[in-house]
Amino acid sequence: MSLIELVRLAFGRLRTSRLRAALTMLGVIIGVASVVALVGVGQGTTANITSRLAGLGTNLLTINPANGSAGMTLDDVAAIGKIDGVAAVAPELQTSATVAVGTKNTSTSVIGTNSSYAFVRAYNVWQGTFLNDASDDNNLRTVVLGSTVADNLGLDASAVGTQVTINGLPFQVIGITQPKGGSGFNDPDDQVMVPVGVVRKYFVAGDTVRTVGVSVASVDQMADVKASIEALLRDRHDLAATASDDFSILDQSQLLDTANSIAGTLALLLGGIASISLIVGGIGIMNIMLVSVRERTREIGIRKAVGARSRDILAQFLIEALTLSLIGGLIGIVIGLGASAGIARLGGWTFVVSPTIVALAVLFSLAVGVIFGVWPARQAARLDPISALRWE
Amino acid sequence: MDAPVIEIRDLTKVYRMGEVEVRALKGVNLLVQRGEFVAIMGPSGSGKSTLMNIVGCLDRPTAGSYLLDGIDVSRLDRDGRAEIRNAKIGFVFQSFNLLPRTRATENIELPLLYSDLGLSSAERNRRARASLARVGLAGREDHYPSQLSGGQQQRVAIARALVTDPAILLADEPTGNLDSHTSEEIMAIFQELNDAGKTVILITHDTDVASAASRQIHLRDGRIADLTGLAA
Repeated sequence: MSLIELVRLAFGRLRTSRLRAALTMLGVIIGVASVVALVGVGQGTTANITSRLAGLGTNLLTINPANGSAGMTLDDVAAIGKIDGVAAVAPELQTSATVAVGTKNTSTSVIGTNSSYAFVRAYNVWQGTFLNDASDDNNLRTVVLGSTVADNLGLDASAVGTQVTINGLPFQVIGITQPKGGSGFNDPDDQVMVPVGVVRKYFVAGDTVRTVGVSVASVDQMADVKASIEALLRDRHDLAATASDDFSILDQSQLLDTANSIAGTLALLLGGIASISLIVGGIGIMNIMLVSVRERTREIGIRKAVGARSRDILAQFLIEALTLSLIGGLIGIVIGLGASAGIARLGGWTFVVSPTIVALAVLFSLAVGVIFGVWPARQAARLDPISALRWE
Repeated sequence: MDAPVIEIRDLTKVYRMGEVEVRALKGVNLLVQRGEFVAIMGPSGSGKSTLMNIVGCLDRPTAGSYLLDGIDVSRLDRDGRAEIRNAKIGFVFQSFNLLPRTRATENIELPLLYSDLGLSSAERNRRARASLARVGLAGREDHYPSQLSGGQQQRVAIARALVTDPAILLADEPTGNLDSHTSEEIMAIFQELNDAGKTVILITHDTDVASAASRQIHLRDGRIADLTGLAA
């Protein structure tokens, strides 16, 4: 029997038992849809993280204190700035505060830093100017607003030069940054930047900063500069040769790798869980095919009597199982892509249809059809025509 | 003279049921010439069904030889027998055995779907319609078995048996599920087909039905009781 005839036969059979076919497919639909959606979300997240990290700054090294240690002093920061290959260095002393103007107020992060921050962290000024050396040196109560904060306070370009209050203290707005975009848990535009000395004077006690951002002149120097900073800080912190670092230096690519591997593991895990439902769907197909073989024993007997070979019967039932799993798989792919598009919208990243996923999903559903269809089909093919014909 | 269409020599069939051996056929010799109309008769337990299954290539003998249309089919495997059934044998069953929810023509086309002839679907359909017309059911091509009477269903089954132009028509109690009037009609069709040259082998326990045949063979206890079985 030709393949076309077999497919026609399978479709005819599905038409005569629509509800049963639909319920059987549902298992595969759910399985394929969840695999496609979760892998899609995994890929979207990874792409999102990659683009966000790329937007964090050029050749960025981030220095953070190790657990339990105090952090870096501003003298450390100044010393790092003198290392060969360092293009710019910015201390980051972060606290949270309420920024208010008129009747509006918003709770946001206050970053105490210097004029290099915009370069190191890749911010562009939209209106006005960024912090400058004068404001750094003189600890002027000047502030640069992130775009989200400006929006929240209802401020536009005309706000440059006006005053806002931070925890009740008046500050002069000298600039507003361009939105970097990105959303979700960590909005890079939901912060205000003031000179680090001001933060220490009014908001945070102590003389250390938690984070130092370093921009390296060229990507080739990343490793060298990292080693130099490490040596410098160990020396300045008077660490014995055996002691471990009281700080850690993260570079961008490391962050990227870590984030990608976490996202990858997560996607694999979710995909793995989802594929369990694919197996359950396959068992559903096997179950219904076994019932079908039993119900149609007489039909099999008739077909064999008029000359169907074992392989004809095997092919008939296998194609029927494959039709169920493939149609289920295709519906599942559509639903899964729809779901991952929806999640991408919510998560704020661009949704991309990956042909690899679609191909894999088709392959998976075919595999489910073959794996779970072959046994019932063999049962059917092995039936003895004489007893099959006697079956009532 | 042509070679006989069926030539069976010393055919035995032994079923093993656990420890017990059941000898269903104990050395059967049978010759059927082309164009004959033979009735095989016998009470239940006589080996009639076993003989029919072997003649119909649904089963194979334990020993002995069976030439069908000149081909030794006694040692063929399952698929080999399936191909022989497809090409050489047209089955008509007591319970019609049409596929439900399948149109008359599609039922008749079924053997063509499994044949090696590689016919186009148009050609299959043409042959199925011709075959249906031959049993007097032209106009019922698109009817489903559930829309046909018992006699009509049996005619469709005969049309299906004829569609491959087989060497023999093998009918197993073809009138067993029909009333006497319809039975006569069905027997008349077999008679007509035989008159047109078809070899018909009829398995029945009904002497009235068997009387339509030109020769009757009686099976008893796994052997042919009547010496006419050896006539040739």
